[in-house]
Amino acid sequence: MPPAPGMLLAVLALLAALAYLTATTRLRRRGDTWPGWRDACFAAGCAVLACASLGPLPGGPFTAHMAQHLALAMIAPVLVVLARPLTLLLRVLPARPRRALLTVAHSAFATVLVFPPLAALLDLGGLWLLYRTPLFAATHQPLVHAAVHVHVVASGLLFTFAVCQLDPMRRRWGLAWRATALLGAGAAHAVLAKSLYATPPPGTGFTTTDLHHGAQLMYYGGDVVELAIAVVLAVQWYVSTGRVRSHEQRRAGKVTATAVAGGPR
Amino acid sequence: MTGDSRPAVPEPVVPESAVPEPAAPGAAAPEPAVPEPAVLPGRSMAVCAVIGAAVMAAVDEIVFHQVLGWHHFFDRSTPAVGLLSDGLLHTAELLGLVLGFVLYADLRRRHALAPAHARAGLLLGLGGFQLFDGIVDHKLLRLHQIRYGVDLLIYDLVWNGAALVLLAVGAVLAVRARRRARS
Repeated sequence: MPPAPGMLLAVLALLAALAYLTATTRLRRRGDTWPGWRDACFAAGCAVLACASLGPLPGGPFTAHMAQHLALAMIAPVLVVLARPLTLLLRVLPARPRRALLTVAHSAFATVLVFPPLAALLDLGGLWLLYRTPLFAATHQPLVHAAVHVHVVASGLLFTFAVCQLDPMRRRWGLAWRATALLGAGAAHAVLAKSLYATPPPGTGFTTTDLHHGAQLMYYGGDVVELAIAVVLAVQWYVSTGRVRSHEQRRAGKVTATAVAGGPR
Repeated sequence: MTGDSRPAVPEPVVPESAVPEPAAPGAAAPEPAVPEPAVLPGRSMAVCAVIGAAVMAAVDEIVFHQVLGWHHFFDRSTPAVGLLSDGLLHTAELLGLVLGFVLYADLRRRHALAPAHARAGLLLGLGGFQLFDGIVDHKLLRLHQIRYGVDLLIYDLVWNGAALVLLAVGAVLAVRARRRARS
């Protein structure tokens, strides 16, 4: 693995963490509330990004690659997305850049991009291309390697962002769309992992044990992250139905109260 | 956003904050303001069946793949469609587990859980998944077998037999729950 892109990514991750923490400090000093666990999530996500892109991970070459893939494309994005970076930016930026960011976030392109099934297709499609074409064998070239790195991180972020939908976007997709995208992506991930167990990416020569460990890591590691995203969706549903319910109860309570008080009806 | 559909009626007498809380000390009965939907037996059963099926799938994964190592991670004779269905099923199991528990929590929150029906549903789900796995995955798709290198007949009989026992107990519980609910 050439150190240059990894180093760059690590530096970017650390800078992002620094910026996030500075922003939340400013926000709190201003009097806004911002839960502390979001800071922790974002910092952890950036730490995972930095560690995974720098350090040589344990295991054989394929297993180490898979651990890196898991950290960069799945674990770090979940942590970062949970921290609602877009919401934070929209709150702390001065008016002009804020308006520019909103224009980008609400542009037709961004709206289409965060359509959950499309995000899933971009993420998993890229993964299938990587492992099922000679692309993986070509990643020893620094430029290809860097491009793959960027795509993996970006598409992982996009997918998690689109499915969790914690930040404000112009078009909000219902739970059915997002859960279906998660199901499809999870299934595609599981099938790819199982097929890697038997057949290595074309043009590579990993030992069988290495290949098996890597494939199993991909399969079960994917499960953990999928479970985490599913819990995010479940909690969203639970909270929002609860809100609707208590709202309805309050309203009905008002009606009964008026009725009891001999109200005008 | 007050989407109140009633005509403009002067109601300054009762400000929002003075709405009697369900558990207000003066209230005679701690009834919630809205007539809560009564117990939902069908939903209780269905939700617990989802939990049962997902739990059985997880048990299958943990006990037979991980602990015993009887099921192979990948079987070279698996056809592509089997691999696809396995991946889909595996992911559905994970999502089903979360879905089942959040719907269960919702039932509890609404005081709509029917415990007897829920128990029946759980067993039906457990047995249903076990039988599905034994017949469709093992026999029709030949995705994997219970064990390799041994005579399968006894294993298949025990596997599917256990599934039928779970289903039968679930069915009995369901009938009893329904009868008790009627009387």
